[in-house]
Amino acid sequence: MMNARWSVYLVRSATTAAPFALAIAIGAVVLAATGHEPLAVYQLMVEEAFGGERRIAATLTAATPLLLTGLAAAVAFRAGIFNVGAEGCFYLGGMAAAVVGYASPNWPSTLLIPLALAASGLVGGAWLLGPGVLRARLGVDEVVTTLMLNFIAVDLTSWLVNGPLLARGSANSATPQIVSNAELPRLLPPSTLHLGFVLSLSLVVAYGFWGRFSVEGFRSRLVGLSARFSRAVGIDPLRIFVGVMVASGVIGGLAGGIHVLGLVHRFVAGFSPGYGFTGVAIALLARNSAFGVALAAILFGALSSAGANIQLFSNVPLEIVEILQGAVMIFAVAQFGFGWAGHRLGP
Amino acid sequence: MTEMARVEVRLGARRVTRAFGSVLANDRVDLSVAPTTIHAVVGGNGAGKSTLMRILQGVDRPDEGSVILNDRPVRLTGPADAYARGIGMVHQEFMLAPPLTLLENLVLAREPVGFGGLIDWRAAQAEADRLAKIAGVTIDWRLRVVDAPVHVRQALEILRLLYRGADVLILDEPTAVLAPAQIEDLLALMRKLKAEGRTILFISHKLEEVMSVADKITIMRAGRVVETTTPARTSLPELARAMVGESIEAATVEARALPSEKLLFRARGLVARDAMGVQRLGPVDLDIFAGEIVGVAGVSGNGQDELVGSAAGLTHPAEGTIDFAGGDMTRASTSHFRAAGVGYLSADRGEEGLCLTASIRDNFIAGRERDHAFSRFGVLQLRAIAVEAERALTRLSVRYGRLSDPASSLSGGNQQRLAIAREVDREPKLLVAAQPTRGVDIAGTAFIHSLIAAFRDRGGAVLLISESLDEILALSDRIIGLYNGRIVGELNRREASVDRVGRMMLGQKAA
Repeated sequence: MMNARWSVYLVRSATTAAPFALAIAIGAVVLAATGHEPLAVYQLMVEEAFGGERRIAATLTAATPLLLTGLAAAVAFRAGIFNVGAEGCFYLGGMAAAVVGYASPNWPSTLLIPLALAASGLVGGAWLLGPGVLRARLGVDEVVTTLMLNFIAVDLTSWLVNGPLLARGSANSATPQIVSNAELPRLLPPSTLHLGFVLSLSLVVAYGFWGRFSVEGFRSRLVGLSARFSRAVGIDPLRIFVGVMVASGVIGGLAGGIHVLGLVHRFVAGFSPGYGFTGVAIALLARNSAFGVALAAILFGALSSAGANIQLFSNVPLEIVEILQGAVMIFAVAQFGFGWAGHRLGP
Repeated sequence: MTEMARVEVRLGARRVTRAFGSVLANDRVDLSVAPTTIHAVVGGNGAGKSTLMRILQGVDRPDEGSVILNDRPVRLTGPADAYARGIGMVHQEFMLAPPLTLLENLVLAREPVGFGGLIDWRAAQAEADRLAKIAGVTIDWRLRVVDAPVHVRQALEILRLLYRGADVLILDEPTAVLAPAQIEDLLALMRKLKAEGRTILFISHKLEEVMSVADKITIMRAGRVVETTTPARTSLPELARAMVGESIEAATVEARALPSEKLLFRARGLVARDAMGVQRLGPVDLDIFAGEIVGVAGVSGNGQDELVGSAAGLTHPAEGTIDFAGGDMTRASTSHFRAAGVGYLSADRGEEGLCLTASIRDNFIAGRERDHAFSRFGVLQLRAIAVEAERALTRLSVRYGRLSDPASSLSGGNQQRLAIAREVDREPKLLVAAQPTRGVDIAGTAFIHSLIAAFRDRGGAVLLISESLDEILALSDRIIGLYNGRIVGELNRREASVDRVGRMMLGQKAA
């Protein structure tokens, strides 16, 4: 009994680590082919990501948006909804928080920050209500709708900051700065690590408890495992579909809002380097578990914070890090394909 | 064709055995289909017909024994190999490309190629017309498959086999999707093809059409061939008895002559249609009283699934009304049905009755997670759930490892007990039990029967749907016959016998 359980855990952690191992192997080949010493580069990367308080703070800062976009994807995936719309929500939520943040009078932080975050969550949730209802009522594939809505969200916000919301006297496609009371406090000055990391991590932890102990968490997991069974025992899968889609949108919107209030302090066109899509890879790697989302987000955060520094201190190009990230995602998705082949069920 | 005529067995099986896990789907099956004959294979669900057909088509391979072609044992490497040897099959789910026209579907993957590698549509059309003439059917070849009615799609499937040069046609329950008039057309088509030199092997539940069209009939039950006969040497009742099996001495549950006067479930003018819009059930009137077991006897495909769907609240009826416990439930959702006191044991245990990938605990509380006993303010009370699950599962002697193990870790019989534990633990007023002992061994069956009877004795009502005549006879207080979607008769237990119920299953009045 014990052995069987251990082997299950062993297989599970091996399959989770496999995409990273394969990506590291591929990265090593690329590095060696371009005349670098793979081990030395990797060692440098680990040092840059985790060597000392300042670097760890940078890694956690980079992980902050990923915690929430990963969470947004995981919430939907676990109910069998393949929502890839977190990217769009990230933009819209960021925009909403920025608008509240600069247009409001200089109210106290305790009022302004919740207000701005509520706006970002609301906009994100409303954005995905449509795909949720379309999936539930008409069986429209949510992958297509949410993917397409991402483009609309990116372009819509880009148009807004180039027109109506453009900061006066600014040539950038950006809104004005938010008022200082709307900024999330820094945790370890001078590093940029901000309160948003704690907020995001708490949400991930809350998700873990929700999934394990709450009635709705139970229902959405059951619907994800078998929609037909759920229907037969009286759980309405369609209601769950809409619910998790909106929840996912709220979290995606919050991710953008926190990014604006904590780090960027205004909305800039194109301000996400694909956080929403990295979130999809994170949720897949994590198999929707809260612990896995936190771990994978921090790993991806480490990759990007190390990547930024690594070309300063060596002649390794930044692109190698992007190749690594891309390879991890490809293997994560390929692995997902194995596990999920034939799993998706009709409404 | 002349060469064909000299062989005795065009297609057959010799001692074919195929096991899935511990279940013998085919147990030393022998089959001999003579050239230019129509050979029917009949049997209930789980008799092993489909497994045998898959083996004859090369889709599956026997563990032991072999497929016979032209009197010689062969080893089919796959369906393509079977095709090359002249064997073609029409599956229950049609394999057509819906957006393409009938003509395009006919020639798909074997297009006549003309000048410059282009498809020669003129040749295709000529061939299509020739085949339609052989089969004696008129077809508008320009129609797209999505717009074509079911019987036309089926004719197309058959013509496509001819187009590909098959002379042995395997038809898997070809009439299941057809209306009565279309069934006549199909039988005529089959006779025409036989006269034209083809060999047809077809599977059916419907004994009347088998008697009318077949030259030879092979009866299968529980993976074995129990008899091979001809329509001249047998009769409908004899066929039915061979198919269902002799009544095994099962522990019979005491019948209740007089149920309570409390009307629980009342359906009037109930009509249900399938996804294609074909009427499958009704109009049907049905009353179920508290404290009685109503057994529905019928060969599968006669409206049972639709009756179950309507009674358990899974689907809305197309017409008619359903009252349950005094309230109108015609348009109510599944969760309303359950809240009002309807329990449901699905015939499809693995997909609908249980969620095999979820834990035993989760399966036990599924649908009841909001109940006060299991959650407070939206938070699951894991300790209380574990206590209740252990209590209920122990009472039903379910053998399991731990509650966190997946339901798939249980044996078939224990899986069904888990489903029963969940449904009966809710103390519903009406239990809709579809094939409650399918795939369960004899001891398990007796135990499940005693559970259902105990539920009735506590005042519960049961709608029992079963293909097993033994089960219907052993449990039901009242037996209704369902044939072609209609109720054709009603018997109480005292009046019922294998013969009388068997006749009802065939649509004859239970006189």
